[in-house]
Amino acid sequence: MSLPWTVIRQLAEIEDMAMSKKVITREEWEKKLNDVKIRKEDMNKLVMNFLVTEGYVDAAEKFRMESGTEPDTDLATITDRMAIKKAVQCGNVEDAIEKVNDLNPEILDTNPQLFFHLQQQRLIELIRNGKIEEALEFAQEELAPRGEENQSFLEELERTVALLAFDDVSNCPVSDLLDISHRSKTASEVNAAILTSQSHEKDPKFPSLLKMLIWAQNQLDEKADYPRINNLSTAELEDSSV
Amino acid sequence: MPVRVSESSVPSQISGSSSGQSSPPACTLLSVGQAFSGTQNVSSVQNNEAWRVNVRIQGCDLDHGYLCGTMEALNVPMADTPVVTFWEGEIVDTKNYTFFTGKWDATPEDDIRHWTKFQSFSPLMNQAKVDGGKSLDLSNYPYIFMRWKEQYFVNVGTDCGLTIAGFYYVCFSCADGSINGFYYDPNSSPFQKLELKSTNEGRSGFSFSSYELQ
Amino acid sequence: MPTSGPNNKPEDLIARLSSSDGEAKLKSLRELKNQIIGNRTKKLSYVKLGAVPAVVSILALAVESGDSSASSVIIQSAAIIGSFACGIDAGVRAVLDSGSFSILVRLISHSNNKVVDAGARSLKIIYQSKLAPKYDFFQKENMESLLSLLNSEIENVTGLGASIITHSCQTSAEQKILCEAGVLKKFQKLLQGSQNQRDASLESLATIIKNNPVVISEFVEADNRQYLRAVIELINDRYYRTRLLACMCLTAIWNTSPSCLQDVGLGTKLIMILLELLDDPGQVGDDAPFALASLIAEKEDMQKLAFEMDAVDKLCSQLRKTPLQAKRIQGIFLALAELCSKLEFCRSRLLYLQVLELVTDAFAHDSSEVRIAACICLKSVSRSVKSLSAGLFMNEMILVPLIKLLNDYSCSVQVAALGAISNIVVDFAARRPTFVQCGVVKQLVHLSTSMDSTVRVNAVWALRNLVFLADGGSKEGIFLELTTSTLLSLICDSESPVQEQALGFVRNLVDGCVESIDYVFTEDGVILHAIGRQLRRASKTEGMYVLSNVASGTELHKEAVLHQLLPSASSGAQSFLLKFLQSDDSRLRTAAVWSVVNLTFPCSPGAYARVVKLRNAGIYSQVKHMVNDSSLDVKLRARTALGQSMTFGDSST
Repeated sequence: MSLPWTVIRQLAEIEDMAMSKKVITREEWEKKLNDVKIRKEDMNKLVMNFLVTEGYVDAAEKFRMESGTEPDTDLATITDRMAIKKAVQCGNVEDAIEKVNDLNPEILDTNPQLFFHLQQQRLIELIRNGKIEEALEFAQEELAPRGEENQSFLEELERTVALLAFDDVSNCPVSDLLDISHRSKTASEVNAAILTSQSHEKDPKFPSLLKMLIWAQNQLDEKADYPRINNLSTAELEDSSV
Repeated sequence: MPVRVSESSVPSQISGSSSGQSSPPACTLLSVGQAFSGTQNVSSVQNNEAWRVNVRIQGCDLDHGYLCGTMEALNVPMADTPVVTFWEGEIVDTKNYTFFTGKWDATPEDDIRHWTKFQSFSPLMNQAKVDGGKSLDLSNYPYIFMRWKEQYFVNVGTDCGLTIAGFYYVCFSCADGSINGFYYDPNSSPFQKLELKSTNEGRSGFSFSSYELQ
Repeated sequence: MPTSGPNNKPEDLIARLSSSDGEAKLKSLRELKNQIIGNRTKKLSYVKLGAVPAVVSILALAVESGDSSASSVIIQSAAIIGSFACGIDAGVRAVLDSGSFSILVRLISHSNNKVVDAGARSLKIIYQSKLAPKYDFFQKENMESLLSLLNSEIENVTGLGASIITHSCQTSAEQKILCEAGVLKKFQKLLQGSQNQRDASLESLATIIKNNPVVISEFVEADNRQYLRAVIELINDRYYRTRLLACMCLTAIWNTSPSCLQDVGLGTKLIMILLELLDDPGQVGDDAPFALASLIAEKEDMQKLAFEMDAVDKLCSQLRKTPLQAKRIQGIFLALAELCSKLEFCRSRLLYLQVLELVTDAFAHDSSEVRIAACICLKSVSRSVKSLSAGLFMNEMILVPLIKLLNDYSCSVQVAALGAISNIVVDFAARRPTFVQCGVVKQLVHLSTSMDSTVRVNAVWALRNLVFLADGGSKEGIFLELTTSTLLSLICDSESPVQEQALGFVRNLVDGCVESIDYVFTEDGVILHAIGRQLRRASKTEGMYVLSNVASGTELHKEAVLHQLLPSASSGAQSFLLKFLQSDDSRLRTAAVWSVVNLTFPCSPGAYARVVKLRNAGIYSQVKHMVNDSSLDVKLRARTALGQSMTFGDSST
């Protein structure tokens, strides 16, 4: 295959343009921005999508009443999902597992990696609470078989089990496992698996838009001077320092 | 005594087609395992010398117009032992390859100049000059044209004093298995002639062996 | 909370299931459910303890009772049964043996949607196993039930319908009847549904259209090609699994009716997406190489496209990641094998990337599927004559583990290893002694006497290739190891392919120096006679070449061949030589006419007498007809033969 001539010409033109940077004044820029039409419904959908994916049930409910935007999932399922996420974040992994199985018994049966991580988190919580004997038994009964069933877990398994070898767990090489952030990691994994099983996209669209904005500005920086958004939370236009 | 071919054996041109969908005849004398021996004359202005040459066919893939084998040159001045090279061949079947080489520093003029040295090429010359012979159907032509390019030395180093930078224009006769060729290399003396005959290795007749790759 | 304690042994839990107290029963059910979901090891041990029949009887009772309060018990038991059947053959068997199937089917028509959902889900899981009972699509009621399943609003119910089709649709008659029942339209609707519905539909669709040009044509033309468009769009879906399934659907169409897919760039897109999917660490990444292999199989243009998209490099870099699941390794080797099946530059690239070591490591893998795939990959790469000539595979690193596979307990592994060995033994530079040292000849000879005909034919194939261009010493060693009697039985084997390879072996054996011809004369020429007998029974090109090769020897050899070719006057049988000269197969004609050329080769003393005998047998009349044979080779040899017959002066042909 080869590039047809029209595309080659276009690329050549773009290259020519890139040679010199264009300067755009704030007035011109704001005018261009105003010319772009965005529909309110689209913005509402974005907000709703964010609230639903992140699990802000009450906010989503209120927003739906006030704006009339329909969420693309049943808000009731969000409640279940949020309860599960919260359980993990509080270290109640067994409770979370029961809730997941009530919600959809296939999830853990078809996600060996997730199941392993939940069991791993259970072990971590036992160690954190100083229940070492229980932890040892749990590791043998519940965690070791996962390594036998699936070789790709062996490395992580070894790391986790290493926690048992240290008296002062907060200062050992694998102490990162005890971070609260590890709970969040596991919680996100569960959240994503549930969303997937409900055919919902697991990442909200809103952050992707912001990433796209940053990327587009970076691309444009090479070719023009224009008022940029440097602070995403305020979204103020700032003149470039030439 | 060879039998005279009573009818003309000019290849047919498929009218109206832009590329001949022909493949060379599956000629048993050019199949794997077949051996040939003869000479390559390396005449230059000073002297007329000839090396004894043995060739054996090792691989043959007609669908892709591919051939390969080894070439052994004996009584080569600079070498103590016979020099063996491995070569790969392009069969001019007008499907995979045409008479135009298109590489190895050979221009179309060079190509025609060499092919013309084979008598069996004359009926094809006019069409070949136009488009390399793309529209010719050589499937029933009793000669097979090839280019043989040596790829590496098998048993000596590259410092043996010989070069394999060029390639051979080759004409094989299906009737009796004889091979004629000319070596082309801008940096060597031109038109070194290769003349080989099918050997029967002391037999009274022809013997054929084969392998089949899975 | 620990899982085993004084009261918490598995046996105790099972016992508590049959508690009469409703609450306790429900609690135990949930406990069991939560123990086994995701836990393969626990499932297996509970199955052994008889948990499945216990749960099934609870389910049955609850369904019979008809209580609305029994719903929770039904839902939990159904979920447990579904989980037992998930991914474990022993579990599926236990579930089916316990009679749960019909009970679950009844749940589909329950009034409580949650019960319907639970029942459908578990049935769907059962149907994902090949052990599930086959669905009879030809029964009218069955088809009606199936269609109503596909019409349901409940995701798991439509999922069940789809998985039934995926499981049970195997023959073209079944594909036809499903198509006629309007299933394609149902799938079209489901393709607009949720991700799970889309995935299930794509999988089912692939089974309905596979290898069936009629169904494919109907699918492609449906609704102004909109059905097809929908599937093509899905190759860009955000979910990897959907992309993979859509690619597999399109591959199924491509493999059967390529002309239906007019989109020129589609091939490139499919390859690109499948190569991207390789990076997925989960099951999609495991399945992607199989889909790629299927897409490029037998299609040189696709293999070339894939090569240009760096497929060889991408697949090889996947191999280097450890640890890898066996399934993925198998898939990658099979994909590489397809890539290298026809194109030399693919093989060169693979050799350049130095992955042969990974291939040979895989010969010792636990999984027989992986061992087979590695052999197939090596077989494909070793089609490179250039590499064979350079002896690239002629080293201990490859030979030792490969030859070990000839003793593998699995027949399929042996056959796969033989395939690779057949290629590797092709030796142009007298490296044969290396083989003899590795004991391969002994092994091959042993396997040539196997009860399994596939093993036999491949072993003899390897021997035939091994003896090609072999020097005298090697030939002698091989012949002695094989023995005349084994060779004879192979020439007269009950399977025709084995005979062919055995004759090919002899053909190579008698080539080379003239002394080699004597092999067929050992023990009073018993081998030569056997070959003559075989040729009288059936046309065999290889056998004819044996005779032709022998006829290029001494006077004695030529006379012996003539004796085989021309029947004695008393028998009255037609000479098979005449039959072969008239054959439709140009290769057989070629071999036959070469024998005439050799028998009457000039400068052999008895040539003239043989010419006369051949003429009397009507051979030359036939040869005259062949001077304008459609095959150039035959034509030229016929002319040579005629020419030779005329050099003796007597022109009364």
